[in-house]
Amino acid sequence: MSTGAHTDPAVGTFPITPVVVRLKLSLLRNGLRQSGGRRAAYVASAVVALLFAALQLTGFVALRGHAHIASVSVLAAAVLALGWAVMPLFFPSGDETLDPTRLVMLPLRPRPLVRALLTASLVGIGPLFTVLLLVGCVVSVAHGAAAYVVAVPALALALLVCVALARAVAAANIRLLTSRKGRDLAVLSGLVIAIGAQLVNFGMQRLGSAGLAQLEPAREVLQWVPPASAVGAVDAASRGSYGIAVAQLALTAAALAALLGVWARSLTRLMTSPDASTLQPADTAVRERSRSAGLTRLLPAGRTGTVMERGLRYVWRDPKTKAAWVTSLAIGLIVPVFNALQGTGSPYFACFAAGMLGIQMYNQFGQDTSAFWMVALTISSPRDAYVELRGRALALLLITLPYATLVTVVTTALLDDWARLPEVLGLSFALLGAMLATGAWTSARFPYSIPQEGFKNVAPGQTGLAWISIFGGMVAAALLCSPVIALLIWANVSAGGASLTWLLLPVGAAYGAAITFLGLRLAAPRTAVRLPEILTAVSKG
Amino acid sequence: MTGVGADSAAVRVRGLWKRFGQQVAVAGIDLELPAGKFIGLVGPNGAGKTTTLSMVTGLLRPDQGTVEVVGHDVWRDPVAVKARIGVLPEGLRLFERLSGRELLSYSGRLRGLPGAEVDRRATQLLDVLDLAGAQHKLVVDYSTGMRKKIGLATALLHNPEVLFLDEPFEGVDPVSAQTIRGVLERYTASGATVVFSSHVMELVESLCDWVAVMAAGRIRAQGTLAEVRGEAPTLQRAFLELVGAQSRDTASDLDWLGGGPR
Repeated sequence: MSTGAHTDPAVGTFPITPVVVRLKLSLLRNGLRQSGGRRAAYVASAVVALLFAALQLTGFVALRGHAHIASVSVLAAAVLALGWAVMPLFFPSGDETLDPTRLVMLPLRPRPLVRALLTASLVGIGPLFTVLLLVGCVVSVAHGAAAYVVAVPALALALLVCVALARAVAAANIRLLTSRKGRDLAVLSGLVIAIGAQLVNFGMQRLGSAGLAQLEPAREVLQWVPPASAVGAVDAASRGSYGIAVAQLALTAAALAALLGVWARSLTRLMTSPDASTLQPADTAVRERSRSAGLTRLLPAGRTGTVMERGLRYVWRDPKTKAAWVTSLAIGLIVPVFNALQGTGSPYFACFAAGMLGIQMYNQFGQDTSAFWMVALTISSPRDAYVELRGRALALLLITLPYATLVTVVTTALLDDWARLPEVLGLSFALLGAMLATGAWTSARFPYSIPQEGFKNVAPGQTGLAWISIFGGMVAAALLCSPVIALLIWANVSAGGASLTWLLLPVGAAYGAAITFLGLRLAAPRTAVRLPEILTAVSKG
Repeated sequence: MTGVGADSAAVRVRGLWKRFGQQVAVAGIDLELPAGKFIGLVGPNGAGKTTTLSMVTGLLRPDQGTVEVVGHDVWRDPVAVKARIGVLPEGLRLFERLSGRELLSYSGRLRGLPGAEVDRRATQLLDVLDLAGAQHKLVVDYSTGMRKKIGLATALLHNPEVLFLDEPFEGVDPVSAQTIRGVLERYTASGATVVFSSHVMELVESLCDWVAVMAAGRIRAQGTLAEVRGEAPTLQRAFLELVGAQSRDTASDLDWLGGGPR
């Protein structure tokens, strides 16, 4: 190659920071330009985040001088940093400018690149939110001129550590995060956040009853952990311990330097080594085989068993399906059991489990995504469609029936109301049957597609369909249950009816089975004639 | 070939229309594809190839027109048609959270084949298609070439009379392409029919003995390779003339591109 003929475009010497910041702003703007809904969502989340941050800020300022405010501030800074560290794992595609693998082809050196990316990372709602929160933390503990002098570098250092932490974690894990496993992980992150919120809620309640003094030991440790150490430095300066303050500031600065170093090193490695994410060791083979063989043996032969087997595999392997199931299982358990534990429960709440799990029957074909064509090509009569739907219902029952029974028994045991067990079980089974019946019918009549990427469960433009399908179906299911409910009320209010409530168990079970059968029978011919329409509906998005 | 008479067309399409809103995807096409041939459906992107194949295989309902596959109407007699065709669609997913072997087993059993037979055929197909090493890996982790191959295996598993393949070579590496080619050639040599779509003329020219050219929702020509090629030296030339593409003179533009000063 005749390098002499090339005019060297000053590799790495021109300032790239403004370029990257502008790139980030353009990406942000273009992302918002894509749709009004997205713009509204962005504005709404910005307003909520800033309101929350402003409230926090006022709260911290108002609490100045409180005995344990330093503990709260240090803890808040630590939690904030934790959030920054975890965020990229759950929202890997959140920021395209920061995905260094997209910059591989550009002639950039790691050091200016790190500087540019760090600056670009400071643009956005997240950093603004963080600044407001950190200002609150710092102001709440700052007393005296010296403390305010320390506060300025402390604030900057804390913010930079947060941002650098997120970037370092993202760069170190980018191969994982852009791989299939990483995307699967991201789909499940909603659950982790929900469970985390429960834990925080629980912790808050304990703090409320036991007082903030409980936080002291946490502060002892955390004030030496960057970036909480920056808040610790302001606190130390306020109390006149200037030596400790300087040490804590220096620690924060050292942490920042270390993080930037790690980040730069992973960037260099990313940009100079080939992507090995498509090469995978064939190690899971043996395990997979033994497990699937066991599963197949237990299921009935023919189409029924085949359909059940795939359905059950998908509960475990498909992240969207798994997330939906885990949510249903968790809520179906939490609502009746927690209410029973708090003494506000009723055994009838146990029907929640059957109701939540019955929802999984809805939009069966949407759960297949466009792979539904494989099913469509093998259905050529209402009989085929019936067997297909029945297989799916049976797979569902295999999990639902024992689970609903278990939840009902546990709830009754907690409430020590064994007399109501038969009637609640009967009602649960009837409700489950009604949900399966309406679920099968709406699957055929109102299918909609479930996007596989991201958190959405409905493709754009099909929200109306999804609402009709789920809520119409649930109302219909409740109506279908009304004979059993009427019987139950009659048995409870009429004289002498109480001795007959045990009859509700067989009656409810039989009613549920009959109505499921009827629902599948009605849904099958509709499915068989609407195959192309269903495929079109579930292939959107 | 079983069940097909002497005059037989594998696929007979009459007045097939499909509109999506304002846009006409397929504008009243008539096609008669002979049985036992390797048939190429060629056309530029957006010509309506995928829409046509979807309607022919019963995956998309036409606005108008009839489709017969080996003498059976696709919409009135789905039992007879679905058992006799194998399909590899483009742009539709597979059940990707199954492993390659599980996918074949699922698909075969869904079609009512006995389990032992499905396993026997699956083993052979995986072997021939060079997927044996990846058979326990989830399809979601497969490369494009591997996906096409496992898709082809599911389409072949029940030994169909007519095989419809939408862009089977798109994004496929040369080694996988050669494997797919070998399997298809062996399959047609036994008297079965393959209908596949492509926009790579060299490929169609080297594989097919019968060609239908499609552009803007219409059939521009159909017949044996020699008939369609006519006087033109290559199918590529004939095709460009048929669809009316002008070769633009690029000499005056881009004069800065190439060696010399930057």
